[in-house]
Amino acid sequence: MKVTVDPEVCAGHAHCWALCPEVFGLSDDGYAFVRVDEVPPELEATVQRAAGRCPTHAITLR
Amino acid sequence: MTKDFDATDFFRDDAFIADPYPYFDFLRGKCPVRREPHHGALMVTGYEEAIEVYNDADRFSSCNSVSGPFPGFPVPLEGNDVSRQIEQHRDRLPMHDQLPTFDPPMHTDHRALLMRLITPKRLKENEEFMWRLADRQMDEFFDRGECEFIHQFAGPFAMLVIADLLGVPESDQPTFRRVLQREKRDARVLGSPTSEMERNPLEFLYEQFTRYVEDRRRAPRADVLTGLATATFPDGSIPAPGEVARIAANLFAAGQETTVRLLGSALQLVGERPELQRLLRQERERIPNFVEETLRMESPIKGDFRLARRGTEVAGVEVPAGTTLMILNGAANRDPRHFERPDEFVVDRANARHHLAFGRGIHTCPGAPLARAEALVTIERFLDRTSDIRISEAAHGPAGRRRYAYMPTYMLRGLVALHLEFTPRAAARR
Repeated sequence: MKVTVDPEVCAGHAHCWALCPEVFGLSDDGYAFVRVDEVPPELEATVQRAAGRCPTHAITLR
Repeated sequence: MTKDFDATDFFRDDAFIADPYPYFDFLRGKCPVRREPHHGALMVTGYEEAIEVYNDADRFSSCNSVSGPFPGFPVPLEGNDVSRQIEQHRDRLPMHDQLPTFDPPMHTDHRALLMRLITPKRLKENEEFMWRLADRQMDEFFDRGECEFIHQFAGPFAMLVIADLLGVPESDQPTFRRVLQREKRDARVLGSPTSEMERNPLEFLYEQFTRYVEDRRRAPRADVLTGLATATFPDGSIPAPGEVARIAANLFAAGQETTVRLLGSALQLVGERPELQRLLRQERERIPNFVEETLRMESPIKGDFRLARRGTEVAGVEVPAGTTLMILNGAANRDPRHFERPDEFVVDRANARHHLAFGRGIHTCPGAPLARAEALVTIERFLDRTSDIRISEAAHGPAGRRRYAYMPTYMLRGLVALHLEFTPRAAARR
């Protein structure tokens, strides 16, 4: 599974980072980015939860 | 007897998504201003206490209003007055260039500019549009006698209301709907070419509104966009086109999700409670208070954050400088010290309108009149055009054993989907 965060849509609520810091990082000004090319299988469920929790729907899974 | 909820992390756990209210009662029962142990945020669940914080922009900064405890302030905050550190580093917080995170005096000017775009006259014209739009939206599914209310009605309705408010010409509205109502972002295909459908909604809004503003400044017309393009700050200075575009984009972001959840909660109640539905059908003048009580019971935004500028106290509880506070609208609205029998839906509750669903103080939701009108128009038209509205048992299960999915975030409260069935009434067009 791959995951991306749309930097224009992200509002910095940081729910994804709070749930899964292994996959989501925060830039110096608090917006989310993705740390990994491929989501480790054991974190897929957590990343899915994180995507669902994003208040601005900035996270895309594929 | 309330459970001991301290072991559960409100910000990370899904345990409170379906029903956050027992947790709010637990917190308030301990103390209306109480520190949660996982992130050290002070949770404000009392009604008076929430108002005290909201009304004091001097003691409490909004710089962290969207981010709260995640990841917290970019530098350690030390000392008994952290105002200088806030000013020095606030531009490293998310949304630092947007109205919700501004403090006075910056906030004052930008809020004034926004309010020049939402004038009473504009709201009145916008409401006239809402009646037409509601019917147009209902026409898309009406003959089938059923709908998934959130995506087939509430989403496009709330979006197009804001487009109209800002003066987007009706000829451009289909494009807005295509770009902004794009369903299931996670279904996007990897590597597909960038088409209009793939465009980023915010980028689209910035571009579109920058173009509108530049165009109307060059060649003014007798339209709403010209008003938007020529609005000035209180001191008469002219905002850059990008600044106007940012406010416009902000309205879409703030007025969508929230209003959709309000409409969902309202129609859920109508479908769940046949007695209440009958009463509203017979006595339409009750609808405005019904909407207020819905906002009180299910506040679309569960809460908002503030940062204490200096050491202070609220309700006798010490608040050290630099503390993150979460003001829980949804909890304050069920404070038994202000609302009798707070967990009951009382359609004629005399003080329902006291709720804090729109916040309070200088950041009070500027779209509140809009949301109220949208709810009213939606309920009126659904009642006008049907003789009966029911919850779909196929989708949500039988009465008493319903299944509803709520937005899986600690910020928003409302349904993900709402399947309704209804009996159309002929000749009920307005």
